[in-house]
Amino acid sequence: MSGRGLDNGFRLLGLLMIGVIVCFLLTPIAVTVTMAFDARAYLGPLPPPALSFRWFEQFFSDDYFLRGLSTSIQLAVASVSVSLCVGVATAFALDRASFLGKEALISLFLSPLIVPPVVTGFALLLFLSHMGLVYGFARLFCGHIIITVPYTIRATLASVAGIDRSLTEAALILGATDRRAFWDVTFPLARTGIVSGAIFAFAVSMDDVAVSIMLTDAKTYTLPIALISSMRANFDLSIAAASVMLMLVTLALILILDKFVGLNRVIGQGVFR
Amino acid sequence: MKRGRDSLPLLLPAVAVFLGFFFLPLGGLFVESFRLYLPGRIGSAAEAPLTLANYAELLTPAFAQFFFETMRISLLASLAGLVFAFPLAYWITRSLSARWRAIAVGFFVTLMFLSVLVRTYALELTFGAAGPLRPILLSLGISPNGRGYIEILVGAGLLHYIVPMATLTLLGTIQNVDPRLVDAAQALGAPGWKAHLTITLPLCMRGLLAAFLFAFTFSISAFVIPMILGKGRVLFISNLIYNRFSEIADYPSGAAISIVLFVVALAIVYVMSRQVNKRWNS
Amino acid sequence: MTKLTRRQALKTAAATAAVTIFGGTFGSIRSATAATEITAVEWGGDVVNAMKQIEAKQDKVKVNWVLHQGGSGAILPKIKATWPNAEYDYVAGWEGSFNGMVKEDWLVPVTVESVPNLADIPQKIIVKNAKGDWEAVPRAVGGIYAAYRKDISPVEVKSIEDFFDPRLKGKICWPGPTQAMMLPLVALALHAGGNENNMDPGFALMKKLAQSGNIGRIGVTDTDFSTSLTSGETAVGFYSEPQLTAVAKSFPLVRLTKQEGVPTFLYQSGFAVMKNRPNVQATLAFINHCISPEMSSLYAEVAGEAPLNVKAKTPDNLKHLAFTPEEMDKYVYVPDFNVVLSQQDAWSKRWENEIAPLL
Repeated sequence: MSGRGLDNGFRLLGLLMIGVIVCFLLTPIAVTVTMAFDARAYLGPLPPPALSFRWFEQFFSDDYFLRGLSTSIQLAVASVSVSLCVGVATAFALDRASFLGKEALISLFLSPLIVPPVVTGFALLLFLSHMGLVYGFARLFCGHIIITVPYTIRATLASVAGIDRSLTEAALILGATDRRAFWDVTFPLARTGIVSGAIFAFAVSMDDVAVSIMLTDAKTYTLPIALISSMRANFDLSIAAASVMLMLVTLALILILDKFVGLNRVIGQGVFR
Repeated sequence: MKRGRDSLPLLLPAVAVFLGFFFLPLGGLFVESFRLYLPGRIGSAAEAPLTLANYAELLTPAFAQFFFETMRISLLASLAGLVFAFPLAYWITRSLSARWRAIAVGFFVTLMFLSVLVRTYALELTFGAAGPLRPILLSLGISPNGRGYIEILVGAGLLHYIVPMATLTLLGTIQNVDPRLVDAAQALGAPGWKAHLTITLPLCMRGLLAAFLFAFTFSISAFVIPMILGKGRVLFISNLIYNRFSEIADYPSGAAISIVLFVVALAIVYVMSRQVNKRWNS
Repeated sequence: MTKLTRRQALKTAAATAAVTIFGGTFGSIRSATAATEITAVEWGGDVVNAMKQIEAKQDKVKVNWVLHQGGSGAILPKIKATWPNAEYDYVAGWEGSFNGMVKEDWLVPVTVESVPNLADIPQKIIVKNAKGDWEAVPRAVGGIYAAYRKDISPVEVKSIEDFFDPRLKGKICWPGPTQAMMLPLVALALHAGGNENNMDPGFALMKKLAQSGNIGRIGVTDTDFSTSLTSGETAVGFYSEPQLTAVAKSFPLVRLTKQEGVPTFLYQSGFAVMKNRPNVQATLAFINHCISPEMSSLYAEVAGEAPLNVKAKTPDNLKHLAFTPEEMDKYVYVPDFNVVLSQQDAWSKRWENEIAPLL
C-alpha cells in the first residue's frame, strides 16, 4: 500500500473521529436545553410532552438564586484574578529556572486536582476555622484559589514549554533586555495557554459544589450551592435553566470579544498559526 | 543555568498559596486520619488517641478493587480523551479558516461552562437505562443495566469533560509546532502519518502530558459523574470518601482514604512527568 | 485564649459588614417591627416553604433561613469547625443527624416548661441524651417503607420475596449506605429472622438481592431515588418519605405502609436548638409556635410529613402515615435507634466490603 493511500485512510479516520466526538459533545447541550424548557415538575424520560418557561421564571423570581449568582460572579472574578497572576508567575519561573526537584515541584502544584474537592474543602474549613477565619466569602475565596490555580499554572506551563527557546534568545542577541524579550516574545506566544487556563479556572469556580459546600456560611453561598439546596427530594430543573443561561452569557461574551478584539487575538497566535 | 535563578522569587506567591490553602490544611487532615473514631460522633474527639486502624481497615480485597477500578476507568478515559482531542486540536489549528477556528474555540469554551451536574444528568437521560437509545442497545444485545455498560457510561461522562479541556490545552501547543518540519519530511519522501508520528507528536509531548494530567487528575477525583452515571454501583474512591464525610461523619476514615489516594496519584503523576520529560526534553 | 478573642473579633467584624450590606438593600422592609432575628437551618423545597408560612403567622421572631446543602450531614463539619461558637440558632434534622449533635453535646435541653406544646407530642419519640434529658423537639413524622410505581412496575410487590422476582431485573432502586439510616437493610434482616442487633441474616439476604441483578440503582443522594423513579429507570424502591412523596406527586405510587410482611419504619423531623447562642428563649418560643396544633397541621399540609401534635389534623394525602394503635403494632417496626445509629459506620463499611462488589 502506498504511503499516500495510507495517509488518506488516516485522514478519513481522523475526520470520522472528529465527527463522532463533536456529535457526542453536542448531545448533552441539546438535552440540557430541552430540560430547561421541560414543562414537567420532575426529571422524566425524553422527549418532554410539553415545553414552558417555568424554570426560567422560577430562577428569576427567587431572590435566593440571584444572590447566589451575584456571589458566584464576584467570587470567580476575584479568585481567578489571583490564581491567574500566581499561575503565570509560577509557570514562567518554572520554565526558566532549573533546579533539583523541579519535576517534583511541578507535580506538587497539580496536587489540589488529585484530592477530591470535598476533602479539600473539609481540610480548608478546619484549618481556616483554627486560624480564626470564619467569614464565608473569605473562606470561599481561599478555596476557589486553590482549586483553580493548578489549571492556570499547568495551562500556562504547557504553552510556554512549547515556545522555541531560540526565539527568546534571538531577541536577546538583537539587543532586547530580558524584560523586553519576555513581554514582546514569550508572553504573546504563551497567551493561548494563559487564556485557556483562565477559562478553565473561571468555569471550575462557577461550577464548584463540593469545595464550596464546606466553606459557605449563613449569609454567603454560591449559585450552585443555592441550586443544590433548593432540591430536597425533587430534582429542580432550575439548574438546567441556569446552565443554559450561563452558556448563553459565555457565548455572548465570546461573540462580543470576537467582534471588538478578534478571538484569534485574544486566545493568542502561535508562531505558526 | 544561572539565568533562571533570579526568576525564582516569582515562585513565592505560589508557595504561599499552596502552603496556606492546601498543604497545611492537608496536614490537619493527615493528623485526623490517625485519630480513633467513636461510632456516632461527628469526626474524632479533640483528645482522641492515635491509631493506625483507619489505614489497617483499608487492607481488604474490596478496597483494592475500588482503587483499581477508579484508576482503570480514569486512565482509559484520559487516554481516549487524548486520542480524540489531538486530531481535533490539530484540525482546528491547521485546517480551519480564522472564522471557523474562532467558532470552534467558542464552542469548546461554552462547553466548559455547562454545569457538571446538568451535563451528567443529560448524559444519563440520553444514554441511560431509560433513554431513547434503550431499544437500539437491547437489539445489539447490550444490556443498559449491565456492569460493563455502566462502566463505559462513566467513562463517557468523564470524556465529555476531558475532550474540551484537552483540546483547548493542545491548541496552544500545536500552534507552536513548525508545520514546515512536517512538510520537509514529506518532501524528503516520508508519508504524512510517519512525519506526524516522528515530528509533530514528539514536539507536542509536553502539551499532551499537560492535557493527560488534567484529564487523569480530574477523573480520579471526579465525584458527581461516577455518582450519577455509575448508579451507585460503579464506585470511585471519591464516592467512598463522600460516604464518610456525609451523614456518617467518620472523618478519620475518610481522611485516611484521601491520604492514600493522594500519595498514590501523586506518585503516578510524578513518575509520568519525569519519564516524559526525560525522553522528550528538547 | 488570644485565638478565641481574635476569632470573635473577626466574627463581629464580619457580622457588622454583613449587616451593613444586607441592611442597605433589604433593611427597610421590616425595620418597623422590633423582632428578634434568629438563624435557622432548614431543608429547601416544600419544607422551607412551610416554615416561611409558619413564620409569617407570628411577629416576635424574624428568621434568616439557611438551607441544608444536600443531606442533613453536610452542616455538621461546619458546626464542628467553629464550635464552641455557633452560627445557627436551630438546625432542622432527624434521628440520623440529631444523634451526632447529642453526642457532641451541642444542644440545649428542652422541657415542657420551655416548650409548652411538647405536652401534646408523644414523649416516646423525643430524642434523649445519656442522662435522659430531652434534646430535640419533634414536629412531624415520615416513613421509610417500600413502594412501587403502579404504571410501570411489572410486579405488584406484596412481600419482601417479590423483590427477588426475575421480572424486576434492574428495576429496583435501593438506598446506599448513607441513606435512610440503612433501615431497609434492617427490614431484610427482620424478614430473614434477624433484627438491628443481628444483621447477619440481613446482609445475607442483601447479598442475594445484589446478585439477583434486580437492583438498577443504588441511591446515594436525596434526589437520586426520585429521579430514578420519575425517569422510569427503576420502578420499585424502599426509601424515605420526602423522596417517595416527590414521586407520588406525579405518578401513581403504591405505598406499602400497611402491608403485612413488609415492615414500615418511622423517622422524625424536628428542631435541635444550639447552645451558646444569644437568643435561645426567642428560638424556643418560635419552635413552640411551630408545633402548635394549627401550625403542625399547616406544616403537614405543605411539607408532606404527618403531624405529631395529637391535636393536629392529618391531611388526606398523608393517610398512609396515620396508624391506629393496632396498625402501629402490626406494620410499624420501631428499632432501637441507639443501636441503628451507632452501627451506621460499621454497616456502611460492611456494605462496601460485602455488597458493593456484587452490584
